[in-house]
Amino acid sequence: MSLHRADPLDHPDVRNASGIAFVAGYAASVGLMAIALMVTLRHEMSYVRFVIAVAILGGLALLAQAVLMFRLDLSGGQRWKTISLLLVVPLFVLSIGLTGWMFHTLYPRTMLDFMQVQGSGM
Amino acid sequence: MLVHLQGAWNPWLGRLTLSQIPYHSPIVLGAFAFALLAAAPIVGLMTYYQKWGYLIREWITTLDHKKIGVMYIIIGLVMLLRGFIDGIMIRTQQLLADGPRSAAHLQAVHGYLPPFHFDQIYSSHGTIMIIFAVTVVLTGFQNIIVPLQIGARDMAFPYLNAVSLWLTAAGAALVMISLFIGDFSHAGWVGIVPLTELPYSPGVGVDYWDWALQLSSLGTTLGALNLITTIIMMRAPGMRWFRMPFFTWATLSTQTIGLTAFPVLGVALALLSCDRYLGTHFYTAGLGGNLMLYTDLFWIWGHPEVYFIILPAWGIMSEVIPTFSEKALFGYTVMVAATLSIAGLSWAVWLHHFFTMGAGPGVNLVFSVSTMLVGIPTGVKVFNWSLTLYRGRLRFETPMLWAIGALFLLLVGGLTGMMLAIPAINYTVHNSVFVVAHFHTMFLVSVFGIFAGLMYWFPKVFGFRLDERSGRRFFTFFSLGTVFVFAAMYTLGLMGMTRRLDYLYNPHWQALLIIQEFGIFLYCVSVFYFCKMIYVSIRDRAKEAHGQDVWRTSRTLEWMTLTPVPFYNFAVIPVVHGRDAWAMRRDSGLTATSPGDYEDINLPNNTIVPAMLGALAFGFGFGMVWRIWWLAGLSLLGIIGLVILRSFADDRGFTLTAATVRRMERNHEDTGIVTDHISPPVAELALFQ
Ligand code: HEM
Ligand SMILES: [Cu+2]
Repeated sequence: MSLHRADPLDHPDVRNASGIAFVAGYAASVGLMAIALMVTLRHEMSYVRFVIAVAILGGLALLAQAVLMFRLDLSGGQRWKTISLLLVVPLFVLSIGLTGWMFHTLYPRTMLDFMQVQGSGM
Repeated sequence: MLVHLQGAWNPWLGRLTLSQIPYHSPIVLGAFAFALLAAAPIVGLMTYYQKWGYLIREWITTLDHKKIGVMYIIIGLVMLLRGFIDGIMIRTQQLLADGPRSAAHLQAVHGYLPPFHFDQIYSSHGTIMIIFAVTVVLTGFQNIIVPLQIGARDMAFPYLNAVSLWLTAAGAALVMISLFIGDFSHAGWVGIVPLTELPYSPGVGVDYWDWALQLSSLGTTLGALNLITTIIMMRAPGMRWFRMPFFTWATLSTQTIGLTAFPVLGVALALLSCDRYLGTHFYTAGLGGNLMLYTDLFWIWGHPEVYFIILPAWGIMSEVIPTFSEKALFGYTVMVAATLSIAGLSWAVWLHHFFTMGAGPGVNLVFSVSTMLVGIPTGVKVFNWSLTLYRGRLRFETPMLWAIGALFLLLVGGLTGMMLAIPAINYTVHNSVFVVAHFHTMFLVSVFGIFAGLMYWFPKVFGFRLDERSGRRFFTFFSLGTVFVFAAMYTLGLMGMTRRLDYLYNPHWQALLIIQEFGIFLYCVSVFYFCKMIYVSIRDRAKEAHGQDVWRTSRTLEWMTLTPVPFYNFAVIPVVHGRDAWAMRRDSGLTATSPGDYEDINLPNNTIVPAMLGALAFGFGFGMVWRIWWLAGLSLLGIIGLVILRSFADDRGFTLTAATVRRMERNHEDTGIVTDHISPPVAELALFQ
């Protein structure tokens, strides 16, 4: 239960760290988010394709951080972190899903040009 | 890229000019005089007794979870007082500005506050009470008690713990400074869109609110991380999951909510900042902005946040009620399950805050049902507390009075919540003061819980009891005040009075408003008794001093430590053999805590870095609010630089040898957290020696 280690450098977190992976993770997530920003600023895609593109870019950035920066896996030292990340998935589905549903019923009732906003009108 | 603002701006002072200091407002001047009057004696006494060094060495630089907790609670109580004064001002304005014939004072047309000033007051009242008073005090309790309850020497990350504290302090300082330099937000504690957008709020008020919330929410997120890790990793041997004291369980679910929900607030505010600083259109009323998105994001955080506030209070009640019923908590396992399921459900109900926005009936139905589902575990808890009381040997000492008061308020608040959860009812009372009364009843459950905890644990932390006599008066007047203010407020809500009114158009409400003001008067009396209680207790502290276990019937591990608690908590980490570990030991006569042999104890050194990070965070916030770019930029660079520097510090901490521990334990005069003569040295002092 209680982890009492004298030398901080023996800590699994520290042992697990790698400078190259950290820089790579950082660069990858900054790069991916910059691309998402560009995509947003350019206004070139249709609404639905745009949402999908940004969601994919966001997912990739998350992956880069989880795998490269935080090096999550199921080893003893990392287990709790991996589990806590996984526990957030239902919250993600819940909050984004319900929000999507809410807006889907809200737009036609409150916004005159919702077809335009939503593109295909899904 | 930056938004072009109207009005003066210069590179050195940003938007700050002399005219931003409201020295012409008699109310602000009064507040300033009050602050000076309150601060002057403290500063004077500190200087006279040469306590500044002590303050820095023992408190500002400390990484001790108990001292950090005490500082959280002090900040929270100061903010509670400030929020209370805001409350008095709101009530008084509504009393005076009632009907077309109402009198006018100062610069107002009705009452004594012009609308813009009134709006700032209710906005700061809500923000302060929720974010900087109740949340902060409860965080303080969790900081102090959880490591003690699980038999740990400190939190998992003591340094991070201090960083969280100072970030919170920086946020609180921003709110306070807005009183004297510039304005505060006038858009409510929820930040009503699009009112928070630049065209409608071109001043700095919204920015103050924004950055204060942003900083403190960062502190809360880091604190959540710390407490969760502490509970998972730092439990004493034998402290299995289902042997953990209930308050620790409550903390675990609270902080899980905190860790998952606060980032949403951070994002919601960051997008608002993008709108206000960079000219994006996330929430603007046109140009592709979606203002409903802000409301949605805000409440995705907001509803979990209200449970973040109530769960620790329920945890406190679950410690106090068994102690003063002299029996174990009824249905421990069910209580744990209920607490965890409330934490889970709290994520699925947020839309009940905007049933009236116009989503389809299916959506409202789902959220109505999920909201009512929360009532099931909550009801389970109420029954369990009642059954703990049932056939207990009840003792009505002050902590118990507050806990029972909280139980009654919970019934009223919960049932009115159920009413609000029905969309058809909600459509008629949404944005009326009925809602305001509902959530005040609920927050008062937390406040009653806080006072229960204060009376209950104060002797553990400081070594002497709080005065019973004035404590009882404090409870009596506070409870009576609650009844008068909020019974009248519920009624007014059903009579159609909407919230946030600076002028009341209906003179028929006057009688109830007078009743509310009378309630406020009772609250003021209770504040007097609170101060008296503190004064009398400190004066008579020698008389009220006591040993480990003041209440004699407490059950959990924190009561096993010496009183006041030494900075290393436990000389030897206890081994736990069952639930309610302390009660077990007491019942079998195993309360002697001095072991045969002591061990060396290693603890982190004190450090000034967290406090400096807090100061820099304040500089950053202040720079952003006034758009003083060099200040914000330098502060940010300073933060990054300090964090990097600190990561290179080879600080192996402070070792207390077994011999010293033995001496301290035998002669436990010099172990207490208030009186300690030995505590870890400040790491940075070594640089100067
Ligand atoms: C049984 C549990 C509860 C139920 C069913 C419930 C239900 C509701 C509903 C339906 C509303 C929306 C009213 C409206 O704006 O029209 C509401 C508002 C609110 N409730 Fe509760 N609630 C519950 C518990 C709590 C707790 C535990 C707290 C806080 C400690 C709380 C604090 C609030 C706040 C702060 C608001 C409104 C804030 C605002 O609009 O400024 N509620 N509640
Ligand atoms: Cu809610």
